[in-house]
Amino acid sequence: MQQKLKPALASPRGAIGLALVLLGVLAIPIAMDDQFIYHIFVTICIFAALSTAWNIVGGYAGQLSLGHAIFYGIGAYAAVMLTNMGITPWLGMFVGAFFAVIAAIVVSYPCFRLHGPFFALATIAFLEVFRVLALHFRSFTGGATGMMIPLNIGWEWMVFRDRLPSLVIAFGMMLLALAVAWWIRNHRLGFQLIATRERESAARGAGVQTVKVRLIGVSISAALCSLVGSFHAMYLTFIEPEAVFSLTFSIQIALFALIGGIGTVFGPLLGAVMLVPITELARGWLGSGALGLHGFVYGVVLVLVVLFMPNGIMGLVHRFLEPDRKPKAEPEPETVAAEPRRVAPHQVGDDIIRVEGLDKHFGGLHVTNNVSFNLKEGEVLALIGPNGAGKTTVFNMISGFLKPDSGTVSVRGTDGQFHQPVTPGDYAAIGVGRTFQIVQPFASMTVEENIMVGAFHRFTDVNDAREAARETAHRMGLGRWLDSEARGLTIGGLKRLEVARVMAMQPRVLLLDEVMAGINQTDVRRAVDLMLSIRDSGVSIIAIEHVMQAVMSLSDRVIVLNSGQIIAEGSPQEVVRDPTVIEAYLGKEFAHA
Amino acid sequence: MDTFLQVLTNGLMLGGLFAIVSIGLTLIFGIVKVINFAHGEYLMVGMYLTFLLATGLHVHPYLTVAAVAPLLFVLGALTQRFLIQPLMSARDEHVQIFATVGLSTALMNLALLVFGADIASTPSSGLRTSLHLGPVRILLGQAVIFVVSIALVAALHWYLQRTQTGRAIRAVAQNRDAAQLMGINVNWIYILTFGIGAACVGLAASLVAPLYPTQPTSGTYFVLIAFVVVVLGGLGSIGGAFLGAMVIGLIDSLSGFYIGSDLREVAVFGVFLLILILRPSGLFGRKNLAHVSP
Repeated sequence: MQQKLKPALASPRGAIGLALVLLGVLAIPIAMDDQFIYHIFVTICIFAALSTAWNIVGGYAGQLSLGHAIFYGIGAYAAVMLTNMGITPWLGMFVGAFFAVIAAIVVSYPCFRLHGPFFALATIAFLEVFRVLALHFRSFTGGATGMMIPLNIGWEWMVFRDRLPSLVIAFGMMLLALAVAWWIRNHRLGFQLIATRERESAARGAGVQTVKVRLIGVSISAALCSLVGSFHAMYLTFIEPEAVFSLTFSIQIALFALIGGIGTVFGPLLGAVMLVPITELARGWLGSGALGLHGFVYGVVLVLVVLFMPNGIMGLVHRFLEPDRKPKAEPEPETVAAEPRRVAPHQVGDDIIRVEGLDKHFGGLHVTNNVSFNLKEGEVLALIGPNGAGKTTVFNMISGFLKPDSGTVSVRGTDGQFHQPVTPGDYAAIGVGRTFQIVQPFASMTVEENIMVGAFHRFTDVNDAREAARETAHRMGLGRWLDSEARGLTIGGLKRLEVARVMAMQPRVLLLDEVMAGINQTDVRRAVDLMLSIRDSGVSIIAIEHVMQAVMSLSDRVIVLNSGQIIAEGSPQEVVRDPTVIEAYLGKEFAHA
Repeated sequence: MDTFLQVLTNGLMLGGLFAIVSIGLTLIFGIVKVINFAHGEYLMVGMYLTFLLATGLHVHPYLTVAAVAPLLFVLGALTQRFLIQPLMSARDEHVQIFATVGLSTALMNLALLVFGADIASTPSSGLRTSLHLGPVRILLGQAVIFVVSIALVAALHWYLQRTQTGRAIRAVAQNRDAAQLMGINVNWIYILTFGIGAACVGLAASLVAPLYPTQPTSGTYFVLIAFVVVVLGGLGSIGGAFLGAMVIGLIDSLSGFYIGSDLREVAVFGVFLLILILRPSGLFGRKNLAHVSP
């Protein structure tokens, strides 16, 4: 449901629209000068800020937290408790944010393995635990009776007779949240968060430390929620566990983001602007006579939005901003700009990878049995074998995605020493990049953004990464599709995108898993040229490949794997004549034919 | 010792209550693979229906199940057909979660609009009578819930294992596409399963209403417990859900007595989080880890 994530600000109409919305939020209450209107707009700012902060976790990182009230509540309690001790909330809010970050890490870290609804359930459970504990420790939190703040009026206590200063502070917090969300979306962190959401394994393959970026994301989100919570407590002057650590409240925070457009920078703001006034006015006009009406409206709106407007308000806005965006007709594939082949045989250097005695069992199945081989610098090594021979398992073990039961993988680093990487991140750091047999694009990101995720392995700056990504895309013949969503590519395009993403990391060793399977003859020839040009640029390659035409013309050496064991090794010409190889592929009766 | 036995018995009775509320959820969860956040509100709706029918027609609350279970079946089937089915192909799980959260919010507040926040008490019709079993006492109604929950587990197990439709349901749960290729109408199976799951809640509601007060928020507490039970029992495992319910009932009862009644939920949710994090396939579940990364 995440639409194309190009920030709306890219178009001038979007920028003007945003400015008008922000101006309206500030100017309307000042112009109307009515207590109730002020209250509505302060509430809009509060929810917009919370929802924007939630969106960093729920939208960008795709982790549906329904426990964000925890962080809001920690901020609220910290500010109120410290105010009661005579410490200004301007200081207290940062104390709250500090504890919210700790809570965020404690809550999220164990839950990152959980997907979708399970993550949501775990966050709900944590929220319940916080609520019950807040109720239990009466001496600390005041228990069910809640806590008041002393009525010291003035800027230093964040408590005012007029509503205007409150609006100014709330507005400022909303701007802060929006600025942070916008900054993240346009920098490396945002790309990495979204990549993690779209395909966790591909993100790890591209060198993204998924746990770390998620922890950073959730910490920022929690800190923002806590700051807003501190202010909101001062604004309400009274807090109680049932109100602050509330599931309903958590759901509301997520709701505005969903209705506005989940995963977009300004969607949560629009969601709050549209929905808060409706419900607050309904509450105000209908009073207690219609108890439950506003909740009913929320629920129905939520269901309708999910059913008929899954991209939220931002989906409509995008359609308005780019009315003539039609899917482009599939253009003719470009020719790959392969560098001219060198006539002289290329140089093969010393070992760059040494694999020794890899063993792996899946239950009773011995998938790889004492597999040892080496890869020399500048070499193309083909790994072939019948289906189920254990090729991809070997790949997973030499890229950190699987831990071998025994055996070692050593990679020579740029320092000339051999290292034994463990995690995919270690492998990426030492310069081993891989593709996946089953393509793993970041579907909702554009081709350019996909490749940028790889480029961010080398660059921190977004412009450098974009530049590198464009260059790689052109080299891989993906130049025309830079702005298309990855999900729109053909299978051949997706395979090239896989290679492009890892090439953007500038690996020293490239692991290619069946990049030629299922693509047509012309594409195979182009792919072969491309591999050779990659090799000539100094990259060592291990390729799992079934397309024999490619294996024969590409590889310096071939290893044949069958039932988890290496059964033959040698030059391509030697290997195809080897009787054991023929037997493995075709059966005994062909071996001596 | 007698106190301990009583606390233990209370835990088991509570377990029966949790089980009967959770069985429908685990069925929907296991087959349709949707987390129905509105499950608690189904219970609440069922309890109000029981209340209205029992007080309006002056019949024993148990008799209302003849109407409540079919009505809940319809509610569940409609939910699947018009809310979940259009979203089945959605790429993002958020969508389905929000859809049922929306339904839950709408139903709860609708009840608030119609019935107000006051408690509706279904006549207990003698179900609050104590039975003395040796040193322990239980309420008649609790004992009925306990027995019926076991019967319901057995009946569903028989239905899923022995009937043709039951086999079709299991096939769809295993592999939706393959089942479709075998000529099973997958959408119909989903509607049926959702309906049966909701009807189970309808049965639960008629048994629960005479013992517990009915109010718009009645479902909220139960739905969280039901999620805990379902995850503990292993996804979609009906027998597992029953055992999970017993475990949670015992934890609830023991921690309530020995630690403090206001901290029961901390114990229950603490155990839930530990299981979710350390053993995500549940206490009794087989390896089915589509929902976690290795």
